Amino acid sequence: MMIRERALARVAAVALALVVAGCSGVDTRETPPAPVVTPPPTVSPPAPVAPPPRPARPPQPSVSGAWLPLVQKAEQATARGDYEQALALLERAQRIDPESGEIYLQLARTHRARGDIAQARATAERGMLFCSSSAQCDALRAFGR
Amino acid sequence: MIRTRHLLLKLFLAALVAGGLLLVYLDAKITSTFVDKMWELPAKVYARPLELFVGARLGPDQLAYELEVLGYRKVTKTSGPGQVARNRGRFEIYTRGFAFPGEKEPARRLLVELGGQRVQELTVGGRDIDLMRLDPVQIGGIYPLHGEDRVLVRLGDVPPTLRDGLLAVEDHRFYDHAGISFVGIARAAWRNMRSGQVVAGGSTITQQLGKNYYLTPERTIVRKLTEVMMALLLDLHYDKDQILESYINEVYLGQEGPRSIHGFALASRHYFDAPLNQLGVHQQALLIGMIKGPSLYNPTRNPKRALERRNVVLAEMAQQGVISPEQAKAAQARPLDLNSKARVRNSFPAYLDLVRRQLRQEYRDEDLTTLGLSIFTPFDPLLQRQIENSTTSVLAQLNKGGELESASVVTRFDSGEVAALVGGRDIRYAGFNRALDARRPAGSLLKPAVYLAALEQPRRFSLATTLSDSSVKVAGPGGKVWEPRNFDRKEHGDVLLYQALANSYNLATARLGMDMGLGLVVDMLRRLGIEGTIPHVPALTLGAGEYSPMDMAAMYQTIAAGGFRMPLRSIREVVDAHGSPLKRYPLEYERTVSLQATNLLTYALRTVVREGTGQGAYRYLPANFDVAGKTGTTNDGRDSWFAGFSGDLLAVTWIGRDDNGSTGLTGGSGALKIWAHFMAAASERPLGYRMPDGMQTFWIDERSGYLTGKGCERARLVPFIEGSQPRQSTDCAPREGGPKDWFQSLFGG
Repeated sequence: MMIRERALARVAAVALALVVAGCSGVDTRETPPAPVVTPPPTVSPPAPVAPPPRPARPPQPSVSGAWLPLVQKAEQATARGDYEQALALLERAQRIDPESGEIYLQLARTHRARGDIAQARATAERGMLFCSSSAQCDALRAFGR
Repeated sequence: MIRTRHLLLKLFLAALVAGGLLLVYLDAKITSTFVDKMWELPAKVYARPLELFVGARLGPDQLAYELEVLGYRKVTKTSGPGQVARNRGRFEIYTRGFAFPGEKEPARRLLVELGGQRVQELTVGGRDIDLMRLDPVQIGGIYPLHGEDRVLVRLGDVPPTLRDGLLAVEDHRFYDHAGISFVGIARAAWRNMRSGQVVAGGSTITQQLGKNYYLTPERTIVRKLTEVMMALLLDLHYDKDQILESYINEVYLGQEGPRSIHGFALASRHYFDAPLNQLGVHQQALLIGMIKGPSLYNPTRNPKRALERRNVVLAEMAQQGVISPEQAKAAQARPLDLNSKARVRNSFPAYLDLVRRQLRQEYRDEDLTTLGLSIFTPFDPLLQRQIENSTTSVLAQLNKGGELESASVVTRFDSGEVAALVGGRDIRYAGFNRALDARRPAGSLLKPAVYLAALEQPRRFSLATTLSDSSVKVAGPGGKVWEPRNFDRKEHGDVLLYQALANSYNLATARLGMDMGLGLVVDMLRRLGIEGTIPHVPALTLGAGEYSPMDMAAMYQTIAAGGFRMPLRSIREVVDAHGSPLKRYPLEYERTVSLQATNLLTYALRTVVREGTGQGAYRYLPANFDVAGKTGTTNDGRDSWFAGFSGDLLAVTWIGRDDNGSTGLTGGSGALKIWAHFMAAASERPLGYRMPDGMQTFWIDERSGYLTGKGCERARLVPFIEGSQPRQSTDCAPREGGPKDWFQSLFGG
């Protein structure tokens, strides 16, 4: 029954182009309307609020634990020559801790490893604003020479 | 008679040929487009993922908001992805996980303990986690003009009850027929005849799919025939599962504003704010029922009708053995369970506009709307919420009439990433984007370029150099004379360089600019990042020209970053449909201005908010929170500007009117308020002080500009490029005591 119906249907394909009957199934579906661009409703401004009082600032905890693994992964990426991946990881680390001289140093080293000396130098120069030990400052300063 | 037969034969042959050609045409059309079309996907634009680690600054309401925008469901105990259970500062989040480029973040049950506006604890199953990311908020898509959105689902990921329920209701002989169903047609005709009205359609799922893909909505015989042929051809070329999968992804299920909702996965997100595989049977049945009439059975507009229809579907599902009668009964007793909250998705039109413009420089529209790209941006929903909140609440205070417009740009200046953007006071309206397209004179916002050019010549200028704030006339082209005035219409005589900037003295600035030469000022503006036209006229020193808030953000970004120019980025990375990175937009520094001169300028910009025209900032900010910035006001108060930065954020804010009328505001009484309101709530770090090599601080008498002793009257600590300190001294010897100035406190001395 099933096979016969399928075969019959295929043979009927051309004939159907000529035959009007058999299309009694009336379409009751909706079709998507043409898109209408309506601006979203306006938002009325809330009543003015004074900015919340700022709590006393606790000393900034070190967040190096969060980004050290990223720096290590970046070193591995650099070692296998995947500089793009290394830079992506270091930029993520830098977003977590934008004032880390260490991350600047790693960024500068990675730029140098991929042969972008100008970028290595500029990165190191900015990093010098954030270096936290004389060894780190010296390492960054060395890019400028 | 013979003739007539002849004619009929000819007609028959002609029709046969025409029908054959049509068939060939349709066949080519189907085979060439079916596969591609199925996976045509708009680019998805994502916000930055929220990074979680111990010590991250995050308040409970911020995390709650992020999760709300992400559509996490609030429960008392999490049992699956996309749920959150909160007890004050303690969040149990069952994350959804996300395949980031290069790294997959798994779905897992995470415990976050917040306290003192920071993450105190972050654990999974009792183990500490160093670092993790929530899934990123999708802030929109790049849709083709006909406005479709898609979320695709593979047939294997469709819940079996949904799939079988769909077949039971729409086409229960789907796996048996050849694309069209004579039995179905006959049955529909029989039922229609018996009831005397149209109660059933004879279209198979295959027919509906062909119609959805290729046909226009008119109802003619030719179209109906074409539909039938297409169904037969689809069935010939593709297997049943492919066709069903396509249908599930293609079926029309309603409207969301200008965009139509196609496919069950998108509908699930739209109506229930949940992924398809998390829907209950009652929700699945609602969607199945909606196929018959997406607007007639729209659960938001016609909840009663939708509920009735859903229950009919559930009964049918039970009758055909998809679910048990008990299941059907239980499901029929459930409410509609719709997602009730307002949509947040796509409600950041100004930022999306920025992303789109950057993309269109490198991609064709067609690629953006079909290739299924993922666009990762630095957009920060938390900062966006704050700048919107600051804008609306300050504007409501300033402007009862509602004619004032405003725009703001917020960047994280260490990376040059644009984090938030306001294009107008009506934030949800995707209209004129003033942050990018307003063209306004910048007023005193340009002055720092004049002073920076001067400070780059340490042999001639230092912060303590005496300038003359006295009337000045410059002959312009055509015999016109330019004669600027101060805001207070007074002359202030001899003032120190930093004071002239802090108080925004026009006469001293115009003299300084003309003294150095306009060429140097233009050159400095270029090095700071202004790319458009810069008018080479004396009034440039006081802000002549046409600039957008974005232009000003580029300029102040270079200053905030300490003399390093970097492109303002609204895209971090573009990833293709398979998750492979296509392009990264890397962080790049270019030092275009002297580090030392920028450091000196920043001292003067700190003075603006401590002692000058920007003092109003400390009505919002705590007294010990260091920031730097500059006010700008144009003629008749047409534009009120403020640009400034803290230790992590740069913001530029503008207030004005679209008709260029007067606002009655200065930079300090208008834009500064939005800026300071925002900074007070959003900035995590005050501006630190880092002295580059080759600089020293000296005690200066703030009237004469001479060296003086610590603790002497009018003594203040001022930085200098080595060798540029004043040569003359007062005769006051250093002594103990005396009040500490704000700059001295920076050194803790």
